[in-house]
Amino acid sequence: MSRTRTIRVDYMTRVEGEGALFLKFAGDHLSEVQLRIFEPPRLFESFLRGRSFREVPDITARICGICPVAYQMSSVQAIEKALQVEPHPQVRELRRLLYCGEWIESHALHIYLLHAPDFLGYPDALSAAHDHPERVKLGLELKQTGNALVTLVGGREIHPISVCPGGFFRVPSRTELDALVPRLRRALDLAIDTTEWVAGFDFPDYEPAYDYVALRHPTEYPLLDGHLASTRGLDIPVEQYEDHFVEEHAPHSHALHSRQRQGGSYHVGPLARLNLNFDRLPPDLQALAARSGVAAPCTNPFRSIVARAVETAWACQEALRIIDHYQEPPEAAVAAEPRAGKGCAVTEAPRGILYHAYELDSQGLVRRAKITPPTAQNQRRMEDDLREVARMFQALPDPELAARCEQLVRNYDPCISCATHALKVRIERT
Amino acid sequence: MILIGYGNPLRGDDAAGLEVARYLQTYGVPAVASEHDAAGLLELWRGADRLIVVDAVITGTEPGTIHRFAPEQVELSADLTLAAPVSSHGLGLREAIGLARALGVLPADTVIYGIEGARFEPNAEISPPVERAVRGLAIRLRFAYLTSMQPAASAP
Repeated sequence: MSRTRTIRVDYMTRVEGEGALFLKFAGDHLSEVQLRIFEPPRLFESFLRGRSFREVPDITARICGICPVAYQMSSVQAIEKALQVEPHPQVRELRRLLYCGEWIESHALHIYLLHAPDFLGYPDALSAAHDHPERVKLGLELKQTGNALVTLVGGREIHPISVCPGGFFRVPSRTELDALVPRLRRALDLAIDTTEWVAGFDFPDYEPAYDYVALRHPTEYPLLDGHLASTRGLDIPVEQYEDHFVEEHAPHSHALHSRQRQGGSYHVGPLARLNLNFDRLPPDLQALAARSGVAAPCTNPFRSIVARAVETAWACQEALRIIDHYQEPPEAAVAAEPRAGKGCAVTEAPRGILYHAYELDSQGLVRRAKITPPTAQNQRRMEDDLREVARMFQALPDPELAARCEQLVRNYDPCISCATHALKVRIERT
Repeated sequence: MILIGYGNPLRGDDAAGLEVARYLQTYGVPAVASEHDAAGLLELWRGADRLIVVDAVITGTEPGTIHRFAPEQVELSADLTLAAPVSSHGLGLREAIGLARALGVLPADTVIYGIEGARFEPNAEISPPVERAVRGLAIRLRFAYLTSMQPAASAP
């Protein structure tokens, strides 16, 4: 007997690039700000139920085309917690290496093709490329090095296939990694040059009182683990994430907005990481950050592009360090057998903390999944910023006001086509 | 010569370019099926002297129509909708071509074939007229490839 079910998913129009910003002015008074972003993770939380834990990393990787590694890392660590499985230490280093590749690729793409045009006064990357072809080529070279690292460690460029609970299906050899070293050294030079370039941009004078949230680790600049820390003094293990951060339905966007139980919005991402982990940067990168205007504390969100560039340099340096010390693990993956359990993990995606939590049954099937991406956590903060920035620039003609709003939204590098000029901005003045 | 079939395998006729590449591969022609973003595409055709890209398009003509475009037409035409970019950051084929031209890294001899699509819903099958067009174009391109491999070949 067959059943027919009809499921209409309005969200799928997002594939066309639907993000929308609505500003309403009554005279000089900004009466309404709405930012609408669609959220694929909601659907994934549902259809992951009943799936085997082995499928989870590959399925969640599809949530994001630009940061699949982040989803694989958060999900695989959460599952390993639930199964009480611990991979070899060398696997952890390889995972950090893979993550470095993604940071390099994602940050370079964002800086050069998405955000720099705003600061240079161009409507998009194409027109910027016409006037600055050599500069854009450097950015693409930097990005491609990140891609090459992800492909080598992850097995495929767009959605890595080598990550599995317990480790990897295959680990690279010493020789394969060494082959990337010249490119990574060049990428490091490019990243430092990029930092110095973006440090010279004009930044609107906007220093809101943020609460920044990021992982903090005893020794490392955060990628895979640590405690959750905030600039207002929070310091909790990741297991307490849901006790402190809650999602609420925001009707105008069909999305869930994160806020802190104790207070309001918060900010995750490169600026948050830099502010909370500045002392974890090697001294030469602290110096780079300082002369580029982003030594902690840095509270101007428009400077996030500089923070991103510093992090790109860090990721290149860290990749070189990991390769230098690399030893192949005794086995690519430890056994991961099904058992009932609960586990959660937070890792630092390029855009900020990414929380995954899973509950598995005794056969290792998912009973419950929770995925909170960085962009969703920033959404409330984005709207608060938009309110302020729209007020700051409200006297500008609408097209310029819209451009400033887009420039602001891109500080968050959201995983939506808002990051390109596909953001639909509607301004109503009465 | 580089042959690229570009598209999205999950949205009906949006897979047309990928299918053309797949057919060409079965004929022994080294075509690439690509879902890359703009930067990845630039990498794919780096150094080539001749480039053919196939993608699904919407221009309002009969489904299955095979259009042939020069790069400027693709970059600048407002009436032409290309396959939606697969990257969540929205930089697809049109942006790749524009970027490559701006940077001077688009092969001098570049042609874009657009197959007019009828349906693009998620998980839809390729529609029959597009399937026919895919097969026909693959045969044409195989011939173009073989001709280009001959010494003193003239471009078709």
